[in-house]
Amino acid sequence: MKLQAQYNKISIASSILVLLIAGAGYYFLLQYVLKEQLDESLRVEQVEIQDFIKTKHALPPATTYKDQRIEFIKSDRIFPQSFRTLTLYNADEKDNELSRQLNFNVEVNGQYYTASVTKSQEETKEIIGAILIFTLGLIILLSILLFVANRFLVKRMWGSFQATLTSIKNFDLNAPSAIKTEKSDIHEFNELNENISMMTEKVVNDYISLKNFTDHASHEMQTPLAVVNSKLDILIQDPALSEKNLQDLQVIYDAVDKMSKLSQSLLLLARIENNQYSEKQEVDIPVIVKNIIQELEEWIIEKSLIIKNEISVLKINMNSQLANTLIANLVINAIKHSSRPETILLSSDKNKFAIINPGLKALDGDRIFDRFWKSEYSDGTGLGLAIAKQICDYYGFLLQYEFKKGSHHFSIIF
Amino acid sequence: MKLLIVEDEKELAENMASYLKNENYTCEVAFNFKQALDKIETSDYECIALDITLPGGSGMQLLKELKNNKKADGVIIISAKDSINDRINGLRLGADDYLVKPFHLSELAARINAIIRRKMYNGNNIIRFNEIFIDTLAKEVKVKEDRIELTRKEYELLVYLLSNQRRVISKNALISHLWSQEMGTGESADIIYTHIKNLRKKLNEKGCGDYIRSLYGMGYKLTDQ
Repeated sequence: MKLQAQYNKISIASSILVLLIAGAGYYFLLQYVLKEQLDESLRVEQVEIQDFIKTKHALPPATTYKDQRIEFIKSDRIFPQSFRTLTLYNADEKDNELSRQLNFNVEVNGQYYTASVTKSQEETKEIIGAILIFTLGLIILLSILLFVANRFLVKRMWGSFQATLTSIKNFDLNAPSAIKTEKSDIHEFNELNENISMMTEKVVNDYISLKNFTDHASHEMQTPLAVVNSKLDILIQDPALSEKNLQDLQVIYDAVDKMSKLSQSLLLLARIENNQYSEKQEVDIPVIVKNIIQELEEWIIEKSLIIKNEISVLKINMNSQLANTLIANLVINAIKHSSRPETILLSSDKNKFAIINPGLKALDGDRIFDRFWKSEYSDGTGLGLAIAKQICDYYGFLLQYEFKKGSHHFSIIF
Repeated sequence: MKLLIVEDEKELAENMASYLKNENYTCEVAFNFKQALDKIETSDYECIALDITLPGGSGMQLLKELKNNKKADGVIIISAKDSINDRINGLRLGADDYLVKPFHLSELAARINAIIRRKMYNGNNIIRFNEIFIDTLAKEVKVKEDRIELTRKEYELLVYLLSNQRRVISKNALISHLWSQEMGTGESADIIYTHIKNLRKKLNEKGCGDYIRSLYGMGYKLTDQ
């Protein structure tokens, strides 16, 4: 539920509740006050009748005037005066009316009478009715007002918040631009905007220094690696080395090689992230594929593989170095993981490049492009496919993996 | 012939000097900008191996200095930075080659040899080892007077062996020289072995001595001793 709707619901419901309670309070209070007033006027009539009897020693005439009726009935007993509410038929209005009656004893020349003064309560009813209608009118008016006010006023007040929200939604850490905020009349929103600006600035700075850290760390590793490599190159010149010594040195060589490949791969990833390959040109994919296959020819022959190259015209606008890395990593991956003499198929479509090689079982499609993910047979850095993915993500290409009919299918949709 | 190594990492500089030193070359070393500048100003070198980041200044600055003084010294930049821009910058300033750390000393030697060969205008583009002659301009290989046909990789392999004659070259150095792309480490030994075998066979067919020694498959050496 939207904040505004929630707010509407609560404010309108509480207003109605208060108005209803107030209405009911009014109703009972007014009813009480009006009844007291009516009873008071009945008592005034009573005093008048008693005065009349005291001076004239006779009963005043029974009258029916407007809403007031005075009657006398002979009575043989004395009872205390009493008020009561009753429904009487009104001949004028041809209607039953709610009335208030005061009964009391009078004595005229030794004869007791029950005197009753009756007044209609219709007026009271009308007043109460008017109040109820007025209260209901107020409820409806207030609801409409609240609704309209919330809709327009609140919408305007939240405008700055909406702008901030849109800005946050569009924020991209890889292409950071300052969060755009609107100055608002609302203190809280201004405070929110300030804090968001500060937070994003810090995040961006941290992110940049983290990226630079990878770059620097990889660079700093190159020189020590060069020292190790050069020392090894010197060391193997020693004619006194035994076969065992040389085998040990081979292990060190391989480890150093792997480490330098690792740092170069990390450097490449950092550079793609840092947008250092922004130069673009039209890259002829068939030419790149041909060069890569030629470069790897001896390896392919050594493994008795057959490469079926069915790539036709495919020109992509991208950085040529990255295009080469992307295709090479996929081809190398396929060659590396082919254990028996088999056929690797390279094919292309209007905007698609695909490489298919037979395999024993499906790879973990969810993790295959993760950094440092390796299949159980891999002796590489675990970054080859991650780099391919990074390049594809950089250009918005789709890199997919599927295992179909006993073959690994890697495809790029440009 | 004199070589100069400008590198602030002392261990690396000394390893480079010790590998490059032989009957033909003498090697001098500078560890910082000032030492390098002094040496450049006072003598001429066949080739200078130049690190970019130096205490007291930039290798690029030294390069500018050389070119301003119209020195003909060959220059190979040795840098931890492998970026296209640095490479282009270095070559535009007049460097002959660009080598990225970490590298193999055999690779450095091969590249320096190539630079020196190119610098010599007296048509000396022949590398020789006993009866083997390589014409690096025509990319031709002869054993005595007989031409032999080699594949592109076999040719590069032979040039590399001759550039590092009488020294052990590691298998890893050979692989990274011959293939720019990464290959499976387990399989690469077989590929090198196949290539060496084919090259040896082609040389022997023309009556060439058997000069290529294998050190249990971990390294190779071209030697007549």
